[in-house]
Amino acid sequence: MPIEAPKAHLYHSIGLEVAKGKLHGGGRKATNAALNLVAYIDMMTMLVIFLLMSFSASGEILFVQKNITLPDAQNWSDLERAPVIGVTKDVVTLDGRQVATGEELMKDSATGDMKITELHDELVTAKNNYKLLHPSEDFKGVCIIQSDKTVEFKMLRKVMFSAATAGYQNVNFAVRPKAKGGVAPAAE
Amino acid sequence: MSVSVDTGGKGGGKKPLNAELNLVPYIDLLTCMVAFLLITAVWTQLARLQAQQKGQGQAGEETPPELQVKIVVLVNQEGFNMVVGQDQTPIPKKGSDYDFERLATELKKAKESHPDKNDAQVASEDTIKFDTLVRTMDTAIQARFPDISLIDSGAAGI
Repeated sequence: MPIEAPKAHLYHSIGLEVAKGKLHGGGRKATNAALNLVAYIDMMTMLVIFLLMSFSASGEILFVQKNITLPDAQNWSDLERAPVIGVTKDVVTLDGRQVATGEELMKDSATGDMKITELHDELVTAKNNYKLLHPSEDFKGVCIIQSDKTVEFKMLRKVMFSAATAGYQNVNFAVRPKAKGGVAPAAE
Repeated sequence: MSVSVDTGGKGGGKKPLNAELNLVPYIDLLTCMVAFLLITAVWTQLARLQAQQKGQGQAGEETPPELQVKIVVLVNQEGFNMVVGQDQTPIPKKGSDYDFERLATELKKAKESHPDKNDAQVASEDTIKFDTLVRTMDTAIQARFPDISLIDSGAAGI
């Protein structure tokens, strides 16, 4: 039996005389209506193009933390995966876990020791885990510092010192990318 | 759910040339793509500014003696103090703002006089805000000093 395009029909058991009359013509206007899909397809195509343009294969490496306003920079490069140290005036976090408070960091240590013990230990653990999981790769010693723009260098110095003593010499500062010439990029 | 294409044929005893495009697979594909792209979309565009922690005499300084002219930008409360070798150039603030334009000019001059030099140090006092440091490092990278070190002003040895 050949396949035919479906047509409007009603089962005989349903006694809708008015509708039957309409479906079979009956001298009245047919109830079949063609949907105009052109506008819908146009919209979908535009949406797909926009989303493809803003697609990032690396995914979301950094999540914007609460209370952190990042500074702008023109000479930026793309992010890569590394431990993320969040620094606000109140708290220091490593991958979302609190490792120190701002109050502790702003105090001058009596011994002059700048190391944040918990941050250092966690970073050493992360380094060891990386070496275990990637035995054939060299450890690059990269970490990302996501700091609020109003944080003073005194706090950052201790964070950077702790990272350096844990083996993370290369520090990447998270910034908001700014197009060359001071114009904000379209993605913002 | 289809679109007809009228090719102008009126029949006349022949098979009509009207064709109907089946748009269902196309709409299915578009819907799937939109759903996938919406789920994986990255709405916050963030980037990085690379810096190192290299003070005076620390590991990594294996440059030959003729290239060991240090370029240091000291950031303090009064403004910048740019040090190229033994020469110091203070760049005071413009009102309450740091004079990044003049810093860029001085860094460009330093690059012209030392074209092989790619590293510069940004030395900061404790009270300097992170935003100022990032702008300073950004200015230095703009002046073609891509290897930036961020250090304490005490470690700069000035």
